Amino acid sequence: MKTLRALFNPRGGIHPAYHKEATDSTRVEVMPVPKTLYVALNQHLGAPSRPVVKKGDTVLRGQPLAESAGYVSSWVHAPTSGIIKAVESRLTAGGQLATVVEIEANGADQAIESPAPATDWRVMQTRELVDLILQAGVIGMGGAGFPTQVKLLPPPGKTIETLVINGAECEPYLTADHRLMVEESARISQGIQIVQRILGATKVRVAIEDNKPEAIAAMESALKMAEGDIQLVVVKTKYPQGAEKQLIYSCTRREVPSGGLPMDVGALVENVGTAAAISDAVFLRRPLTERVLTVTGDAVANPKNVLARVGTSFRDLIGFCGGLRGPVGKVICGGPMMGVAQSSLDVGMNKTTSGLLLLSRSQVHQYTSTPCIGCGRCVQACPSSLLPCFLSENLEAENFEEAERLNVLDCIECGACAFECPAHRPLVQHMRQGKAKVIQLRRQRETKASRKEKAT
Amino acid sequence: MDLLIQTLIIGGTGLACAAILAVAARFLAVHEDPRVETVSAMLPGINCGTCGFAGCAEYAKDVVLHGAAADLCKPGGSETAARIAAFMGVEVSESERQVAIVLCKGDNTAAKRTVGYNGLLDCGAAQQVGGNGKACRYGCLGLASCARACPVGAIEIRDGLATIHPGLCISCGKCVVTCPRRLIRMVPESRSLHVLCSSLDRGPEVRKVCSVGCIACTLCAKAVNGQGIAMRNNLAVVDYTVPLTEESIIAKCPQHTIEKRPGTKGEAA
Amino acid sequence: MEYILLIISAVLVNNFVLTQFLGICPFLGVSKDLATAGGMGAAVIFVMTLASAVTWSLQAFVLAPLQAEYLQTIAFILVIATFVQFVELVLKKTSPGLHKALGIYLPLITTNCAVLGVAVLNIKKAHTCLQSMTFGFGAALGFALALILFTGLREKIARSNPPRCFRGTAIALVTAGLLSLAFMGFAGLVKM
Repeated sequence: MKTLRALFNPRGGIHPAYHKEATDSTRVEVMPVPKTLYVALNQHLGAPSRPVVKKGDTVLRGQPLAESAGYVSSWVHAPTSGIIKAVESRLTAGGQLATVVEIEANGADQAIESPAPATDWRVMQTRELVDLILQAGVIGMGGAGFPTQVKLLPPPGKTIETLVINGAECEPYLTADHRLMVEESARISQGIQIVQRILGATKVRVAIEDNKPEAIAAMESALKMAEGDIQLVVVKTKYPQGAEKQLIYSCTRREVPSGGLPMDVGALVENVGTAAAISDAVFLRRPLTERVLTVTGDAVANPKNVLARVGTSFRDLIGFCGGLRGPVGKVICGGPMMGVAQSSLDVGMNKTTSGLLLLSRSQVHQYTSTPCIGCGRCVQACPSSLLPCFLSENLEAENFEEAERLNVLDCIECGACAFECPAHRPLVQHMRQGKAKVIQLRRQRETKASRKEKAT
Repeated sequence: MDLLIQTLIIGGTGLACAAILAVAARFLAVHEDPRVETVSAMLPGINCGTCGFAGCAEYAKDVVLHGAAADLCKPGGSETAARIAAFMGVEVSESERQVAIVLCKGDNTAAKRTVGYNGLLDCGAAQQVGGNGKACRYGCLGLASCARACPVGAIEIRDGLATIHPGLCISCGKCVVTCPRRLIRMVPESRSLHVLCSSLDRGPEVRKVCSVGCIACTLCAKAVNGQGIAMRNNLAVVDYTVPLTEESIIAKCPQHTIEKRPGTKGEAA
Repeated sequence: MEYILLIISAVLVNNFVLTQFLGICPFLGVSKDLATAGGMGAAVIFVMTLASAVTWSLQAFVLAPLQAEYLQTIAFILVIATFVQFVELVLKKTSPGLHKALGIYLPLITTNCAVLGVAVLNIKKAHTCLQSMTFGFGAALGFALALILFTGLREKIARSNPPRCFRGTAIALVTAGLLSLAFMGFAGLVKM
């Protein structure tokens, strides 16, 4: 097992103030189960889960609340024991309305019996292992929430050569993954082994930013005895170093082609939290019902890293951290660059919630944007080699064809361009809208083409 | 003598040019069906694209040359469809003109706000982040995306609520597809009684966020014995295929959600 | 060598649109879209080059021997009109989209002072036939260059947000003026 500094560095990026000092050296605290939990069924990308419980049912911790509703979907489990108060459409952390299961905890926190593993995981079939991971409701915990079982079964013809483990955590304020690596390096290491076996990957690269020396040391000792071509890659601290395409470049110098996926260059990226969840799923047969997140910001009294149950409301999380310290300017679920501002505190956290930011009024600025001054700072900052200034202008003028030609669909919405823009242009908002419209355009084009084909 | 030379020079040059052009015109002739012009003249010329073609000229071409249906022009309505059908010798069925209406009454006075919004002033963009601070998750965002989409400026935003002038509406349907909350419906132009709410929240929830939202008290549905208004998911929904003339429901509604709006040629209430 | 200097002079130093201010009508009218501008530029190159040759021949073999130079204007316009009509017929047949996009500006090449200007200038400068064709080609190339540059600028301005009083033609004319100023930098590049 070697530790080495990354030789390659993705282009662009920014260096914001990180504000991690408040929570990067404090141990993770376990939050007691709150009275009410709001478990959303659309936490993952793909089809929202189909509920298998109804109002009035009693559930135990780990019992399925909703089943997978398609190929790209996942399971959702009860985070504690209690009674189902409601299964209805509610506001979720992502801003959309979706089915949410409201559970009133009964205080016993009784879990269902997990069957003891009958066979050693090393002799299990790949399909069986992936099935265990699906049944445990494991999704990408780095934030995107892509159902892990789909990622672990690449289509025929695509072999995964390099497994990259994402311990970068490049977003400011967040320290959840950092503390997980320091305190749970054994679990992460086990998860890595399992994923490597499933994919048949010949190389493993565990990437950690160089501003986390403690985590590097912890992972080093955990992986010391690991066999094979496994390396710990210390990557340069930069935002967005942890974005999957950028991390693949840092670790392998391979660029994912425009419109392509990591598997097109023989790589796959998994977050350290997901690796730990995979370990639990296979070793302990335990479904994913809790995670570590960072509650921080200058408006909360005691910033902490919290191990909380999925579905814990933001209100309860803030309460556990000493409550608010003065008027709040913004409540952000996630990090300050890619997180979503919340309009209600009675929304439950998801499996993908890595942080809860409480920013005071003085930290939040209302910007009015002015026209582009053509400075080019956004172009320098863009890690995907795009032209945000031109894209934004075209999207404002609704030239969606031109936006498609300028590769708007390759935008990873990291926000580096908006961070740099001196005219405070709403670049990321334009990109998001543009991507949605371009996808719509493409679909319309396809239907027109297929209609023409059918006619002739 | 000079005059003769002048005439010969200019006349000669002219004749030579004309001859060249005449020959060229023979070889470069483009045959155009004259019927395309006639049909094109029958169309309103707005180029809104509702028919599915790239403009009135394209539609006219397709009607004459490729047999496209004669009644695809919504702004032209049944009049235009009848004229085209008569000219082309085909049949079309009569249908009533439809106009668009926004099924929401929650302007900034009636509907509450929870948080401020500092983002793109576009309804689609706001919906991507969960709204623009309006407490009702089903209500009109008031950021004028529908107004911008309307090719004839028939939509006005008054106090944060979109209102459509039925007299100006050309039935193109662009606003219907633009609204991210699906608040706009096409209704027959003669209809005047509408339930101006689209909230699926239960009564107590609606009262918390809006003073004119439908609380599903069912008084209106009961007053018409279920003929024309049905209760669906905590909302009274008008069935526009069935006649509805019982104006007493306007007074019966405790939230004043039901209104009478003139169908066409009148001003929006 | 002198032909190269002729072209450089016509394209850059004495650009017909930006230095001599001829042919402003299509310059402003067709500069909204890059594809249309390209088509217009190509049409003008065709018309100007061949019209230069034919008008020179007309002057040399008909008007001068018969001492009827005063018929120059009428005769030249006749020839140019024929060429333009020919181009219109060709475009209508081969590229109906471009023909529709150019609209009224295609027949307006007939009365474009740049085309007549080039024809008359050739006579004034006592060019030979080949020199006339080269000069005509260069002039049209300069027109196309100015048109395409200006179209690119106008496309960007259309996406931007000028003050209300400047929107449309106003900001276009200001930009054209600035572009002219830029082309003044070529003054003295070649002595013609």
